[in-house]
Order: sequence, then C-alpha cells, then structure tokens
Amino acid sequence: MNVFITGAAGGLGRAFAVECAKRGHDLFLTDIDNKRLDSIKNGLLRRCDIKAVVYPCDITQDCAVKEMMAFTEKLDMRFDMLLNVAGVDFEGGFAARESKQIIDIVKLNVEATLRMTHNVLAHRRRNLPFYIVFVSSLASMYPVPLKATYAASKRFLLDFSIALGQEMKAQNVSVLSLCPGGLPTTEQALNGIAAQGFWGRATTNRLETVARRTIARVLKGKRIYIPGVLNRTFSIAGRLVPPCVLARMLHGRWKKAQAKWLSV
Amino acid sequence: MDTVIVTGATSGIGLAVARVLLKRGYRVLGVGRCEKNCKTAESELEKEYPGANVRYYYGDLMQQREVKRLSEALRRDINEHCEGKLYALINNAGCARSWYATTEEGYEQQFALNHLAGFLLAHYMLPCLKKGRGLIAMTGSGSHRHMKVRWDDIMFEKRYHPLLAYKQSKLCNLLFAVALNKRFSNDGIRAYVVDPGLVKTDIGFKDTGRLVRFVWSMRRRRGAMPQVPAKTYAFLLDAEPPEGGLYYRQCRRAGYSSRVTEKDADRLFELSEHLTGVVFGKET
Repeated sequence: MNVFITGAAGGLGRAFAVECAKRGHDLFLTDIDNKRLDSIKNGLLRRCDIKAVVYPCDITQDCAVKEMMAFTEKLDMRFDMLLNVAGVDFEGGFAARESKQIIDIVKLNVEATLRMTHNVLAHRRRNLPFYIVFVSSLASMYPVPLKATYAASKRFLLDFSIALGQEMKAQNVSVLSLCPGGLPTTEQALNGIAAQGFWGRATTNRLETVARRTIARVLKGKRIYIPGVLNRTFSIAGRLVPPCVLARMLHGRWKKAQAKWLSV
Repeated sequence: MDTVIVTGATSGIGLAVARVLLKRGYRVLGVGRCEKNCKTAESELEKEYPGANVRYYYGDLMQQREVKRLSEALRRDINEHCEGKLYALINNAGCARSWYATTEEGYEQQFALNHLAGFLLAHYMLPCLKKGRGLIAMTGSGSHRHMKVRWDDIMFEKRYHPLLAYKQSKLCNLLFAVALNKRFSNDGIRAYVVDPGLVKTDIGFKDTGRLVRFVWSMRRRRGAMPQVPAKTYAFLLDAEPPEGGLYYRQCRRAGYSSRVTEKDADRLFELSEHLTGVVFGKET
C-alpha cells in the first residue's frame, strides 16, 4: 500500500508514519519542515524495510501542491491511503489574535485539507479501495470559546468527512474522521494539557495508540473514531446539551486554563 | 589548556562537573538544550571563576541532526583553540520520561538521548579525542542492574514501561563503553561509566508526569549533592586509572551487571551504527 501523509514531521504525523511503516506500507511524506522530514525518513528507513519519499511543501499554496503532485507522477506513484494530519491552532481569544493567524487556521485546516484530498484522490490507485483519514478533534463536537476558529475548522472536517464518505462509498472510498482530545505533540500542546489539570490529562490520548487504532478502524470502514472512553462520553454531551449552554461551560474552563498557561 | 566537553552541563551533575574541572584548570565546553540556561550557566561560571575558559553551546541532543550541528561547532572551536585536541568527552546529558515520547526520527526519547546521542557525539568527536587524551566518560546508573536489552523491541514500543526503558538505556552506557574499549584502545581511547549514586538533580521533574515527579521528589531527599559524583569524573580525568577499570563510583572501581558482555556490546554497537546511519570512527 502507498500511504500519503501530510504534516508528517509533527508528533501525530510521525506516529502515523511509524505505524504505517511497521505495517509494511510505503510512504509519501510531506510537511513544511524539510529538516524534520529528513529526520523521520532516516528513522523509518533504518528500522523498517519500506520505501519512504519525502517532499517539503506548503500545502496552503496551490502551485506548490501542483508541483508536488507532478513529482509523484514522475515517480509513477499511485496512492491507497491519505492521512490528512497537517493542521494548526493559535491559542487565545479571537480579537486578541492577528487576523492573519485566524485566516491561517482556516487556510491550513480547511482549504489545504480539501486541496490535498482532491489532488490525492485524483492520484489514487484504480480499482482498489482508497482510504482517507481527516484529523478533526473532540473540539469539533461543541462551540469552543477561545478556540472558536480552530473548533469550527475541525467541525467543518467532521461534517465534510461524513458527507464525503457517503458520497464516495460506491467508488470504494472509506473515510474516517479522527476526533481526539488532547495530543502530546508539541511543547505548546503539552503546556496546554498540563494547564487543564486533571481533565487535561484525563482527555489526552497517547499518539502511538491513536495512530494504530485509527489505521485499524479506517481499514474496517469505520466513519468516526473518538479515542478514550471519557472523550466518547463528552462527545455525547455535544449532542444533548444546548450549544449556548455548552459554550458558557467551555468558556469558563478554557478561560482558566489559558490564563494559567499563556501567562507562563 | 586541556579541553573537555560536558553535555547536560546547565544543571545537576553536568554543571557540578563543569565547576570541578574549571577549578582544576581545564577548559570546558558545556552543552545544554536551552539557550537561556546555557547563557545563565556560562555567566555564573565566569563570575565564580574569573579568567576561566568556558564556553557553552546549545542544542537538543535528542535529535540526531542537532548532534551533528553541535559537533561541527565543537570541532571548529577545538581546532581553533586547542590544535584539534580533545582531552575528554563527558556524555552526561540524560532524561527520564513518564510516557512514550519520540524524537524527530521516531525513536524512543530515553534511548535516543541516554545512549544514541552519546554514541553519535563520540563518533563525531573521535578524531579530536584521538589527538588528545582520548577519555570518554558516561553518566551511568546503578539501575542498569537486573535489566537486559530488549533486542526484539529496543524502543519499548510494545508495553512501554518508562522505568525499564530508563534502566535499559543505562545498561547501554556500559555496553557502549565496553565496545569502545575493545575497538579503539589501541588509538588511545579509554571509556568509563560513572555511577553517580542517588543525586539531588531535577531529572525526574523535566517533561515527566505527576507520579514520576512525586516519586522523584521523595527519592531525591536522600540523594547526595551533585558535587559528590563530580569528583569521580575529575579523578578519571586527572589520574591514569588502572587498566581494566570500566565502572567507577566515588573514585573507586565498582562492580556492575553480569549482563555487560562483549557479545551484547558488539550487538548494541552495530545496532547503534545502523540507527544513526554512521560507521563509527569513519569520517564522511
């Protein structure tokens, strides 16, 4: 199987790359950070008997993505799986952020993800199943004040993935939306988890476990995966509790957490 | 002036070793992860020992490309200031973890920093070590005992146990020293491992969870100050220890696990070459 991974040099992307490599899948890895891409490529090739191609790319730029896809054509690569991992968040209130940061969240999390999905779908291996994973978030299940743009962008991915999965079912395409709680990927993420105290730790998922179970579920044709019993319980609240009540509750929680962590 | 590299030199044992060596007139090149901590350590040491020759370099030794970058900077420094001769390399940098975490290569972090980083740094500094005194010392731990290398899962990916992963990394320090002595003693290289004993450092507080921090806060109360094990490094650098010594504690030879065998040392050495993509001692 050839697996295409965006955001492959970050914590979750790397975990997915390692999981796919352990399963013997060949990889096409992209990220904006070329040094870290080379590092993960070296690590994978030294431990697993697979082929791994890396291509640094800013997937928010249409022409850059077109060049990347032309590169895959030169290698005669067709794909069986796409893992849309690349994403970004900038912590803090909407008005307190620069407008460029707000737009960048949408540009990467939504626009670039759609661009990659459309392009890689056109390069899928014919007559074989194709699998797509969208990395959404538990935050997609509610309106989240102080993470409003991020949560809304992940909500877009959740709804889009469910709709796309139904639309492309007849074409042998399986689509899964991964909705994790906190993931210990970057120092900022770890600080954010710590700032949330007990609930931060309780809703955090181990990257390697998430990667392994996500791949297993998308291969089985599952549509949504919410890691962790507590997170699944919280996701039910998203459907039962009125949105305005949820927004009020989450505002209180995030205000306390961000005050503690952003002031450090 | 003899030059010594000390990694993990911004706090704990590494900083204490830097102090002891500066007092004895060595030139110290300290390595730390964080630029701010490196600048603080450098200026503190310059204040404590006016006229001392100390310089700090910062970088994340967990990442192999950073080890390479730092090595290039250290070699430039050594070539410029001490005719390319390195008296000793002290691989002290280490970490403990509460949960499974990986480096940029996807390697488990304790194995990557506590063993592979020292392996790779020794490889890059080998030409300078051969020209100089050629001493390599590693900060080991008594916790290497009752542990064996998990050859089929050296990164502890299945059923991760952070303490066992730490113990394995400390066993790897001894195996690496055995392999170095076997391969490079004719080139004047001598490798040792120092058991610092229980020391009041912050290793259990850095990037660890609450349980590890709590346990470490209780354990370290009975620990010695870092100045105590620092004397053993100075002893190894100052004197010529008797042939055959490998593991030292409180300036004396100490016993170590019977699992430290030449066969396992060779196996780990070859695996480490493979995981770092180098042929040890061969310049590219």
